[in-house]
Amino acid sequence: MASTVIGAGITIEGEVTSDEDVVVSGTIRGKLVAKDAVTVEHGGVVEADISAGPVAVAGSVTGNISSNDRVDLQNGAKVVGNVKATRITIADGAQFKGNVDMDV
Amino acid sequence: MADRHASTVIGSGTIVRARVTGTGDLEIAGRIEGDVSCSGEVLVDAGGLVGANISARRIVVRGAVKGDLTAEDAIVLEAGARVVGDLKAPRIAIAPGGLVRGHVQTGGAGAARPRSAAASASRASTSSASASKAAERSAPARVEAKKQAPPAPRSSSSVNGGAGKSGAHRGASGASRVGPPPPVVPVLKKGTKAALHGQSKKR
Repeated sequence: MASTVIGAGITIEGEVTSDEDVVVSGTIRGKLVAKDAVTVEHGGVVEADISAGPVAVAGSVTGNISSNDRVDLQNGAKVVGNVKATRITIADGAQFKGNVDMDV
Repeated sequence: MADRHASTVIGSGTIVRARVTGTGDLEIAGRIEGDVSCSGEVLVDAGGLVGANISARRIVVRGAVKGDLTAEDAIVLEAGARVVGDLKAPRIAIAPGGLVRGHVQTGGAGAARPRSAAASASRASTSSASASKAAERSAPARVEAKKQAPPAPRSSSSVNGGAGKSGAHRGASGASRVGPPPPVVPVLKKGTKAALHGQSKKR
C-alpha cells in the first residue's frame, strides 16, 4: 500500500522527500527522493531526478533515475534520462532515451 | 480516502518542500513547506505539519498549520488543530480543543467590503465599539458579528479588548458598593465650564 500518492491533477513544484512508498499520478517538478518504492503511473509526469528504491514507470519521466534496487520501464512509459540501477527491465512499448548504468 | 483515485495523500513519512497546486482533494499526514493551492478539500491530519499558506475550497485541520488559511467554502478546525495564521472563509468552525492564533474572518466575497471594514474597526478600536457599530448595522451584519465573536477571544488582541471591557464593567458596577473608582475625567467646579467657554469666546 502506498503511503504517499500524488493524485492526477496535482502539481508539485519543488522537492519531495519520503521514507515510504510514493505513487505519482500527477506532476512533480524538482526532485524526488524516496527510501522505498516509487511508482510513476500512467498519466503521471515526473520532471525531476528520482532517487529511490525500486522504481516502476508507466508514465513520463524526464530526469535521471537512480535506484538501489530495480527499475522497471513498463509498457507506455516514456523516459528521457540516465538510469542507474542494479537491475533494469524495459518492457515492449516503453520509450527510453538515455544511458543505462548497471554497475553498482 | 473515500475517493482514492482522485485524491492525493502526503504520507506521514514524506516531506514536501514545494508549491503544491492543482485540482482534487489533498490529505496531508506528513510535512509540507510551501504554498498549497487546491480546488478540492485539503485535510491536514493529526500528524500533519504545514508551514505555508493553504487555499482551497474546503479546509479541515486536525494537525498543525503555520500560515494563512483561505477557503472558498469552509474552514473546519477540529480538536487537536493548531493554527498560527489568519483564517478567512464564508464559514469557519472551530471545535473545542482547536487552537488558533491569528485573525479570523467569516463572510463571502460578495459582502466582503463592509465586513472587512467592520473587521478593521474591531482591530482598531475596542471590541465593544465594534459591537455597537455592528448593532447599528442591519440584522445579517449583526449575525456575522456574532459569528465572528466566538473565535475572537482566541486572538490576543481581542482577549485584551474583552478583558478591558469586562474590567471596566466590573469597575462601574462595583462603584456603588465598594467605593468610588479613580476619576477618569478631572472634576470641574460648577461654573468652571461656563467660565472656560467665556474665556474661549473672549479669545
